[in-house]
Amino acid sequence: MKAISLRDAFWDRIYELSKENKDILIVTADMGAPSLDKFRTDLASQYIDVGIAEQQAVALSTGLALCGKKPFAYAIAPFIALRCYEHTRVNLASMNVPVTLVGVGAGVSYDDSGPTHHAVDDISVMRILPNLKIHNITDSVMARAFADISCKISYPNYIRLDRKVLPIIYDENSDFSTGLTVLNAVTEVCIVATGNMVHRAIEVSEILKNQGIDVGIIDIYTFPINEELFVEAIKGVQTIVTLEEHTLPGGLGSAVCEVLADHQLMKQVKRIGMDFSKGYCYKYGGRKNIQSIYGLDKEYLVKTVSSIFSPK
Amino acid sequence: MKNKIKPLEKKSKEIRQLVLNMCCNACTGHVSSSFSCVEVLVALYYGGILRYDPKNPSWDDRDRFIMSKGQSSVLLYPILADVGYFHKQELDRFAQADGKFGVHLQHDVPGAEITSGSLGQGFGIATGIALAYKMDRKLNMVFTLLGDGECYEGSIWEAAMFASHNRLNNLVAVVDRNHLCVTNFTENMLELEPFEEKWRSFGWNTLCINGHSFEEILGAFEGIRSRKNARPLIIIADTVKGQGISFMCYNPLWHGLAPGEDDAICAMKELQ
Repeated sequence: MKAISLRDAFWDRIYELSKENKDILIVTADMGAPSLDKFRTDLASQYIDVGIAEQQAVALSTGLALCGKKPFAYAIAPFIALRCYEHTRVNLASMNVPVTLVGVGAGVSYDDSGPTHHAVDDISVMRILPNLKIHNITDSVMARAFADISCKISYPNYIRLDRKVLPIIYDENSDFSTGLTVLNAVTEVCIVATGNMVHRAIEVSEILKNQGIDVGIIDIYTFPINEELFVEAIKGVQTIVTLEEHTLPGGLGSAVCEVLADHQLMKQVKRIGMDFSKGYCYKYGGRKNIQSIYGLDKEYLVKTVSSIFSPK
Repeated sequence: MKNKIKPLEKKSKEIRQLVLNMCCNACTGHVSSSFSCVEVLVALYYGGILRYDPKNPSWDDRDRFIMSKGQSSVLLYPILADVGYFHKQELDRFAQADGKFGVHLQHDVPGAEITSGSLGQGFGIATGIALAYKMDRKLNMVFTLLGDGECYEGSIWEAAMFASHNRLNNLVAVVDRNHLCVTNFTENMLELEPFEEKWRSFGWNTLCINGHSFEEILGAFEGIRSRKNARPLIIIADTVKGQGISFMCYNPLWHGLAPGEDDAICAMKELQ
């Protein structure tokens, strides 16, 4: 499969499924995509635009789902996660209504747009909602798979898509029902990453491998974390490095620490994410530049991980 | 019509008494916000308007009643019990440790469709249900009750635009226009008027009625399933918050309060 944007991979698959299943409905808040253009022309009756009104997107989807439809409410990630948060909390989480929220623009993938368009705190607030699952997508194979999974769910979920094309790392027969995958056999030091940062973890591990250092990698793509599997996977690990293009409070690193605390596992943890303690990110110059400002670049990460092996 | 109205008036009195008892027992509940919309709900449930089956709450052919104005749920519960969705004894456990429901509406109570309490949410859900019925060419109707104060929420107008644009004429909204919010009269706080014009400009078919007159309420609902107008209908029901208990009327202090012992005795006397 050719690497395409996660958005197109996801909607292309939904388009295929929608031809067979007339209950699948796209509820868009004035958001487009090439695959949705096909939808608009070929499956117009399954395409609903609410205008720039995310609250209505979620409320409408709730009503549709209560009548047996399978709605996908779609907008830029911070808007579908935060603008209508209380609708998601009351209508979807508290009533456990199976609506899929689809947000594009995970992390700072809208790198030219400033903090209004950055999805850097959505995992923190969405993962505390009962019944709801977050699927933070790693590549276009996974995006397609979660399109299928989303059509069969009995709970609300939030599909979090990067805006950029990410390399493919999974084969088409991968099983994503477990919520996490061990990509590199786990060693003394393990990087636990999510979303686009999984690719960064792979780059870092390859550089370190050339230096004779083996690190494990675990990709967490579903929140809440599959605790049983995670605890099993990190047996023997001494140091965990969590990696996310997201704020630290409440994000992946926090979620990992919660699992460790609840299972009384004593491990050294280094959380790497974005520090907004001095304010949101008003930096531009491309995603790489923003990542280097926040310590998410390859060079910094190689230095940080290798220092665990040879502490000063 | 007259033969129909007398029993409805009697039922309204009975329901008000049940609500008052529930709230006094539990020392909580929105009595005044419920009393402004008693006649509208009694007309819907007992006046042959709403299609429902208490023996089969998820009956496919039922109409849906969406209580968007969640604070008036203490009025819906005794009605649901009275028509047979659950045993009336459950009303004695309102907001108690062994009870199944509290001040705001819960989706898992038989006969209730949604969880409601945060204003401005139920109305959007109602548009989704109405659209689903249209898509499936079903004839079910969707009725929803809004508070006038609820109409300060921006999400109400997002949903209003959607419903008129999509010609959801199977959707009927009633606004309980009792003119009072928590702390003040709407027109002193932030003008809602010209209220009917606002709805009309959002593409809705509008009707203004006296929300305590069964003659006018039943008149507004007449022929509701065979409306020729393609637009959704809003019925602005002019009401009095606390209707039925003189000392509660026109008094914002009673919002969300259950009367204490002495006031409860006076209130009950007025409801006899």
